[in-house]
Amino acid sequence: MAKIILCRCEDVTLHDVEHAVAKGYDHLEEVKRYTGFGTGPCQGKECLAPVALALARLTKAAPSTIAPFTARPPIEPTPFRLLASDPAAYRFDDEEPLEPDPSGGP
Amino acid sequence: MPRRLPCPDELRGDPVEISLGDATIRAFTGESVAAALFAGGYATLSRSLKYHRPRSFFCLDGHCGGCLTRIGGVPNLRACQLRCAPGTAVHGQNAYPSPDLDVLGAVDLLFPKGMDHHSLMTGNKLMNAVANRVVRQLSGVGRLPDAIAPAAEPAELLTVDVAVIGGGPAGLAAATTAARAGARVLLLDEQAALGGSLRVDPRFGVAVADRAVAEARAAGAELRAGWTAVGCFPDDNVVVATSANALARVEAAAWVWAAGGYSVNLPVPDNDRPGVFAARAVGRLLCEHAIVAGDRICVIEDDGPRDYADALIAALTQAGALVERVAAHEVTAVRGRGWVRAVVAGKRRIDCDAIAVAAIPAPASEGPRQHGCAVTLDAAAGGFAVQTDHEGATGVAGVFACGDVCGYRGPVAAAGMGERAGAKAAAHAAIHAAIQAAIQARAR
Amino acid sequence: MSLAPLPAQADLVIIGAGVMGLSIAYQLAKRGAQDVVVIDRGYLAEGASGRNGGGIRQQWATEMNIRLMQRSVELCRGFATELGVNVWFRQGGYLFVTRTARDQARLERSVELQHRCGVTGTQLITPQAAAEIVPELAYKSLVGASYNPDDGIVFPWPFLWGYARRAAELGVQLHTHTPVVDLERAERGFVVVTPRGRVAARRVVCAAGSWTPSIAAMVGVDVPTFPIRHEICSSEPLKPFLKPMLAELNSGLYCSQSMRGEIVGGVTIPGHGSSHSMASSREFLATYARRLTRLMPILGDIKILRAWAGPYDGSPDGNPILDHPPELPDFFLACGFVGHGFMMAPVVGELYGEYLTGGAKHELFEQASIMRFRGGPSAYAKEDFNLG
Repeated sequence: MAKIILCRCEDVTLHDVEHAVAKGYDHLEEVKRYTGFGTGPCQGKECLAPVALALARLTKAAPSTIAPFTARPPIEPTPFRLLASDPAAYRFDDEEPLEPDPSGGP
Repeated sequence: MPRRLPCPDELRGDPVEISLGDATIRAFTGESVAAALFAGGYATLSRSLKYHRPRSFFCLDGHCGGCLTRIGGVPNLRACQLRCAPGTAVHGQNAYPSPDLDVLGAVDLLFPKGMDHHSLMTGNKLMNAVANRVVRQLSGVGRLPDAIAPAAEPAELLTVDVAVIGGGPAGLAAATTAARAGARVLLLDEQAALGGSLRVDPRFGVAVADRAVAEARAAGAELRAGWTAVGCFPDDNVVVATSANALARVEAAAWVWAAGGYSVNLPVPDNDRPGVFAARAVGRLLCEHAIVAGDRICVIEDDGPRDYADALIAALTQAGALVERVAAHEVTAVRGRGWVRAVVAGKRRIDCDAIAVAAIPAPASEGPRQHGCAVTLDAAAGGFAVQTDHEGATGVAGVFACGDVCGYRGPVAAAGMGERAGAKAAAHAAIHAAIQAAIQARAR
Repeated sequence: MSLAPLPAQADLVIIGAGVMGLSIAYQLAKRGAQDVVVIDRGYLAEGASGRNGGGIRQQWATEMNIRLMQRSVELCRGFATELGVNVWFRQGGYLFVTRTARDQARLERSVELQHRCGVTGTQLITPQAAAEIVPELAYKSLVGASYNPDDGIVFPWPFLWGYARRAAELGVQLHTHTPVVDLERAERGFVVVTPRGRVAARRVVCAAGSWTPSIAAMVGVDVPTFPIRHEICSSEPLKPFLKPMLAELNSGLYCSQSMRGEIVGGVTIPGHGSSHSMASSREFLATYARRLTRLMPILGDIKILRAWAGPYDGSPDGNPILDHPPELPDFFLACGFVGHGFMMAPVVGELYGEYLTGGAKHELFEQASIMRFRGGPSAYAKEDFNLG
């Protein structure tokens, strides 16, 4: 039996979504938590719409009644070093001079 | 087999050599690493997270997870978003000993229906402890970087009248219109080259995209390619954007979200096989890189609009490929484990070496949602579409949206909506400026 | 689960299907309690239980908390087999690091207290030794560290699925998407009023986390807890490299590598406010990124995938409020756990399970009584070893 992959990042299949709904997890947020769809590198770009539409079909709900999961930053995966350069960072009272400490190795 | 077609030098750029593991690959500076690898015959770059199925490119747009590789000693970089340079060093990830031959691929075969990892090995304490340890060792996709990265460039603060996020037909039209109305306009687009969906569409292509870009520039808009809006913080009226090496805060009196749509797959069996591309990825290869994705291409389509698929098929046929199309609901199997070989639709077998999935793009609505805009799930729109009026006004003051992010409509309609939204945004910004001026005058 | 009709009557209603409410429900049912109903206003894991970093530690600054957590760690070890769901409990240890003499003094006091309570696994170590546990650590700018190899992390959501399922098998009813809009005093107990119906309950346990004050106010009880907005984020998944949970005193930064390989962590933003806002802020992203890359510079090129937020259930002395207020013998509280509610839920559920089925009443209930905020004696020392 071939797999129908709905979320390629996390290997979530249509069967997984059906399984979650059968267990009583029929809210999109619950399906997300139970199956893990939308939690990978693409954060739902490829899978949110297909899974939400599949969920509407499985629960016989009108698509307009289904809300997406919360849109959170970052919209794209963003390196820590770029975010660290935002002047909005809170400065604690133990902040040393700004030169990075080179002693931490790979 | 993918083929490079003859094309002008400026499209392809200069010849360079890149490497994948120990292999040296001929590439060009105008190509993305993904395109160059594909044209060079290397396309399976990793294995999927749970079942270790072979994985390859899908969207070539910078949005799916299909081309994540280690490049220049940094893990989990999208090969489709980086241009080739001399000596670019690429390594596959999450596969041992290599993506082509991965010992854990057996997991996929052992669990044909799937595996619920939640209840795996919970029957016995010892087995559970072992399972926990094994799963941890298998988890994760990239290894830590080879070296500590240099610090980012200093952060910028960009204050403008109208900020446009997305440089496709809608965004460029909005920026042009707003700039012509006298607004100070900044447009950001995450791709290396501006033009969005125009660049991957055979009806328009790179030349049309470049003309639209030139028009926006001539109108006086500042256009930045390679800048990604990563977060919207409405309480501060700030959008944070990043480039390869810097972060910027953008403040604007009016915002136009023209983020377009993401390529999505269709729910057919084995739809994740290497060789299954989004239709727009095949379009990008053809229009941006003059690469035809295969000799025999199967287009799998749903009930949505056919205009793009029709145009793509005509262009591929003209480029010498044999193209067949099939409805998604008829597909019963996709054959070929390491690379696609055929599509089976009931009794019909379509031999192919590449698949183009033509599904309605899903509106890229994360930014507008963070901005407080309402969305509605609608299959015809492609997914969660931003709700606006005819001119792009959302329910949030000063926040506009236009183009496919409001539901798929195609490049021409997107551009029309962009003009209206750009005009509205400029008008809003002008009122805002007048109020600010009045407040300051009173203060003095 | 949420569409079954509400019963008209219950012996005990638990308000809140977070880890605390579900742990109590399970422990009650395990001891034969009947007619237990759990109600939650949202979807499963919507509250703090679904938003935390999954840390489980014995390194605390008060004797009571240290003892409680020793038992919780034990319970976590057996959870997967007892509840039939993987929680991926990994005892990689907790490594605390300090940057100033002041914080080092705090750390040393805590370690000394832990030793007095029998937690001898915690040891003070040098920054160099810390770098042997975490080679990526920029240890030269550290003053000192402590390490306990038995502390660990879990994946939080399965606790809820496991407790809910086992409790349901034992007869507990769970109703999600069912907000409590009012609580009426009745002759025997209460009436729990929801948009889906009314439930007459002999006893009520309020395990509503940071939403407790509004529920308790419905029956005239003033609970002095307050929500503290905490943000948290997750990186892309990486191959395993970080063994312990790493925590930095002063900033309250913590981070650990989850079972999936992501670095999950947060940092305390002072003055982030007492609110239920679960919005993400620029300040958090910048602060966390800055502190994390100072601790482990190699992470500079690693990417954040997602940031989210959840409410800590703040309490004036950093300690929970338990048991019933004297004026309401059938209304029980389980709140004010600040940032350690999740890890304490297994043991607190056990203690409440005993207490509410006529068994022993642990000394915790008296120490954690609301009376200590009404002018009564306070035996529960202030807890300040908070992270996140």
